[in-house]
Amino acid sequence: MDMESTNGQTVYHIKKGPDGTLLSIEHFDLWYGETQALFDVTMTVEKGFVTALIGPSGCGKSTLLRSINRMNDLISGLKTDGKIVLGDTDIYGPNVDVIGLRKTMGMVFQKPNPFPMSIADNVSYPLRVDGIRNRKVLEETVYNALVHAALWDEVKDRLRDNALGLSGGQQQRLCIARAIAADPEVLLMDEPCSALDPVATAKIEDLIDELRGRYTIIIVTHNMQQAARVSDNTAFMYLGKLIEYGRTSTIFTNPKVDRTRLYVTGRFG
Amino acid sequence: MQQTESQYKRPKETRRSVLIADKVADKTITIGGALVIAAVLGMMVFLVLKVVPLFEGGAVQSHREYSLEMPGSRTLALAIDDLKTIAVRVSEDGRITAWHVDSGSPLESPRFDLQGKQVTAFSQCIDQRHMAFGFFDGSVRFASVQFKTEILTPEGLPAGLKELSAGDKSDGRAIYSIIPGNQVRKTWIEVELEEPIQASASNSPIIALDYRLKHFGERPSKTLAAIDRQLVGVAMRVESKLNLFTRKTTLAVDKAELPALPAGTAVTHALVDEGANSVYFVDKSGTVYRFNTRGLEEPFLAEVLRVTPSGVDVNVFSFLVGESSIVVGGSDGSVNIFFLLNRPDAAAQDSLTLVKTRTFAPQPAAIVGFSPSEQSKTFATLDASGGIRVRHATSERTLVSVRESGMPRSDLAGMIVLAPRVDGLLALGNPITADFWGLSIPHPETSLRTLFGKVWYEGYPEPTYTWQSTGATEAFEPKISLVPLIFGTLKATFYSLLFAIPVALLAAIYTSEFLDPDLRGKIKPAIEVMASIPSVVLGFVAALVLAPVVETWIAAVLLVFVVVPMSLVLAAYLWQLVPPPIALRMEGIPKFLFMLSVVCLAMFTAYHVGPVFEDLFFDGNFKAWLNRDRGAAAPFWFLALLPVSAVAVSTGLSRLFGQRFNRYIRTLQPFPAALADLGRWLAVAGGTLAASYIMALVLQGIGIDPRSSVVGTYVQRNTLVVGFAMGFAVIPIIYTLADDALNSVPDHLRSASLGCGATIWQTTIWVILPTAISGVFSAVMIGMGRAVGETMILVMSAGNTPLLDLNIFNGLRALSANIAVELPEAPKDDTLYRVLFLTGLVLFAMTFVINTIAEMVRLHFRKRSMQL
Ligand SMILES: Nc1ncnc2c1ncn2[C@@H]1O[C@H](COP(=O)(O)OP(=O)(O)OP(=O)(O)O)[C@@H](O)[C@H]1O
Ligand SMILES: [Mg+2]
Repeated sequence: MDMESTNGQTVYHIKKGPDGTLLSIEHFDLWYGETQALFDVTMTVEKGFVTALIGPSGCGKSTLLRSINRMNDLISGLKTDGKIVLGDTDIYGPNVDVIGLRKTMGMVFQKPNPFPMSIADNVSYPLRVDGIRNRKVLEETVYNALVHAALWDEVKDRLRDNALGLSGGQQQRLCIARAIAADPEVLLMDEPCSALDPVATAKIEDLIDELRGRYTIIIVTHNMQQAARVSDNTAFMYLGKLIEYGRTSTIFTNPKVDRTRLYVTGRFG
Repeated sequence: MQQTESQYKRPKETRRSVLIADKVADKTITIGGALVIAAVLGMMVFLVLKVVPLFEGGAVQSHREYSLEMPGSRTLALAIDDLKTIAVRVSEDGRITAWHVDSGSPLESPRFDLQGKQVTAFSQCIDQRHMAFGFFDGSVRFASVQFKTEILTPEGLPAGLKELSAGDKSDGRAIYSIIPGNQVRKTWIEVELEEPIQASASNSPIIALDYRLKHFGERPSKTLAAIDRQLVGVAMRVESKLNLFTRKTTLAVDKAELPALPAGTAVTHALVDEGANSVYFVDKSGTVYRFNTRGLEEPFLAEVLRVTPSGVDVNVFSFLVGESSIVVGGSDGSVNIFFLLNRPDAAAQDSLTLVKTRTFAPQPAAIVGFSPSEQSKTFATLDASGGIRVRHATSERTLVSVRESGMPRSDLAGMIVLAPRVDGLLALGNPITADFWGLSIPHPETSLRTLFGKVWYEGYPEPTYTWQSTGATEAFEPKISLVPLIFGTLKATFYSLLFAIPVALLAAIYTSEFLDPDLRGKIKPAIEVMASIPSVVLGFVAALVLAPVVETWIAAVLLVFVVVPMSLVLAAYLWQLVPPPIALRMEGIPKFLFMLSVVCLAMFTAYHVGPVFEDLFFDGNFKAWLNRDRGAAAPFWFLALLPVSAVAVSTGLSRLFGQRFNRYIRTLQPFPAALADLGRWLAVAGGTLAASYIMALVLQGIGIDPRSSVVGTYVQRNTLVVGFAMGFAVIPIIYTLADDALNSVPDHLRSASLGCGATIWQTTIWVILPTAISGVFSAVMIGMGRAVGETMILVMSAGNTPLLDLNIFNGLRALSANIAVELPEAPKDDTLYRVLFLTGLVLFAMTFVINTIAEMVRLHFRKRSMQL
């Protein structure tokens, strides 16, 4: 990881790996106490691509996603083995600035989790955490993030209202706006559309499409069509193991493993 | 699946037993709830009922009116016995008229044989029994009318008694009253007249006289002030000494002749106190001549002043019991009370002066009659149009208006006397009517003013809020201001919360946000165990162990407050210097132990540095410094201003250099970055010290001294000790509730914030605390409620001195402790007893207000975070 200062803000500049790789997960194991949740996961995530994680419930998708920005640290009794390399740094190695790492990775959770504060404050939270107090900068960021998250038109008159007054779908888009506002390198999305109606889902899919190339996105989804529609690469997981990983078109049309085919065609799961 | 379906069919009807159980539970819960509410309301009503009589004043319960055969000349005095059986009138010719109070039937009675001498002055003692006659020839004779009683059995009753009223019979000389327990009380009168004593050296007629009697066991001491027509006054103390061998009493007379008053003075009243320290002669027009007669050796005219506006005559000039209050009744109907007070700037030679301290609602016509109570500061006044008021001096309140003024009959303006127990009042018309009212005045001394206002008590230089319910002497007046007690409760609460809130909240934040959940699971119950320590144990330990320890090592204790937080911050910075891999491995218990040992080390340091600190800041002796015996104010201000200047300096510096510094520090490797951070901390610390020092010097320069306000003379059982002990009681409560509140903030908010790259501390301050604020607030409020109601700790460790003093090193008395301490002294339905109930009610009101505010604020906040 390299650091560089531009107009007062430090930005992690993540170099692409040899073959356009941004993130490589190498023989990663994870234990919740005594139970192992991830078994020897190895995969690479390409920079600027959308990568989908699919698999039946409880197979460890969220666990893997949380491992990438070390949100699992909060869980007591957690053990890991193997490496996750971001750029050229093992994020589980020594001397890793976890807070800085999380700043490079926005996260959108399965369940919308806005803070009990105003809409604008929610979106500007990552900047305020960084000590930015400049009103103009904050307002601009809020505007851009909300526009990107396709929420601006709905909330532009109520930016000072409590975010908890928004509907579930709006709250989820607000959380996406919050993640974008931090201007991360990587966007981790854990079933961002599970609480949304088809219209909002479509909006978010459009958003992902728009962000493609600018951010590296890893998205967990149960919706096969969604995975097929938005992702470039798809990883299929089963019982904590990565079964198959490749181009989305390949996974959906011509998977190598039987179980993958059964799963994507909806005959197993 | 199919198997179970065939085996078990779920009934679609509710079973009767379930329905009945449901009904029973419903009814039981309803009844139980209603009972609880009824019990609480009942308590309230009970407390209020106990308290209401305090504010009721008094009432007339009965009235008798009779006309009497009144032989002889002018009435000099009236008296009633303790049980309101016999009333007595003494007239100018020495004749005594006695009658049965209830019926007005006359009794045969002895008389004073004045040997035909003309009485020119007269004085009656406050006990109504003793009196003195002043004669035309300048002599004075002491006399007494004694009410004698004897308890008889019904068989001992003489024959041929006349029934006077229900239960009372008479043989014409004595009254036989049937009393409970099948007994009879016989009441009769005996009189005694002593030999004359010459008071006027020039044998001129005595024109005014005052007589005080004091019993030192068997030896009465009589004090007398008299003035003759030559306007020469005299103060005398007469003691009768009984010779044990000869059985003869001899009189020892101490006498001081006073300088003559200016010619033409029309003296109408004389007044002297028991100790013959001051003698007052009052001119009719309102001028008072006060002689200082202390020791009866070198009396001198100390002060001449008017006590009424010009044109207003003085008709009453008399002491209340205790001889500190002088009641002045004017011809304009005014009633005022004067105190003789020490005023260094007074014009008088002895620096004393008469000060008007109380003013009563005036009566519409001239005050012509006055009767004080021997037991309390209650007195009655009579005006020229027949109006009679019973008043209480301290509460400045008219308790009962016994008879309205403005009667068209001027013959009502005769004389009045209060029954000794203030349960009746006799008024004698001029010439022959008599009225007797039965009174009920259970709590004359209480009013909103005496309970909650400033009262100018006798012997006090100014109005004060004082609580002092019992005293050594009989003339002692209970002082029942609840203000010092309310203040004490608030003071104890404030100082203990000042200590408890930061500790409890920081501990809660630490365990719920920073500590490993496993460790939290062990530490939390340990802290909660603290809550189960009985408060009597805490109080006991505080009073017997903590108080002496704090007193001995006061400087070190104060130092701990500075050293512990500073060393914790320092330790946190040092921790950053530890290489991350090691630090990571040391998270959890080792880190916790490290912090704990830092605290211990800080305390140890404080203990050893204490004496040096005392030398440096308080001239080597903190307690002497507190007494203002030595040292200056600046060192204290320096310490007190440290937190303020720390906040000011750190925010100032971060405003000025914060952004640039942060940018710089991000370019550094972890270790130099940590060093730079430490450097910043040291800079802030240095700046803080300097700023604080400058401000302290400025404050001292202006002349503001903290001593005798927030700090002052050191008392062993003081508020600091209370703060510690009560903090101990309150911390676990606030801690547990606050920790639960913080912990119940959903984890997804924590994840959201951390996912944004916030640190745990930022997450806590910006997300967790605001979300949990309602719970944290109610934790603090519940802790406060506990502190307000806490009793045993305060009883044992607060010193129980009811003071209005902010000084943290002085004691206090709280409402709750007051109830506990005074209850053994309060007989049922006595004033003190009811005042203690009022204390309870005030305490109840305080906790009620606190809880209501807490609930309102909590609901307000909760609405905001409901949707989480
Ligand atoms: N905090 C935790 N403590 C212990 N076990 C956990 C924890 N979180 C997840 N697990 C377990 O790890 C396994 C993987 O869980 P994970 O949440 O990653 O599944 P998932 O693939 O995201 O499922 P879903 O699609 O239902 O969200 C599950 O068996 C789950 O029970
Ligand atoms: Mg999941």
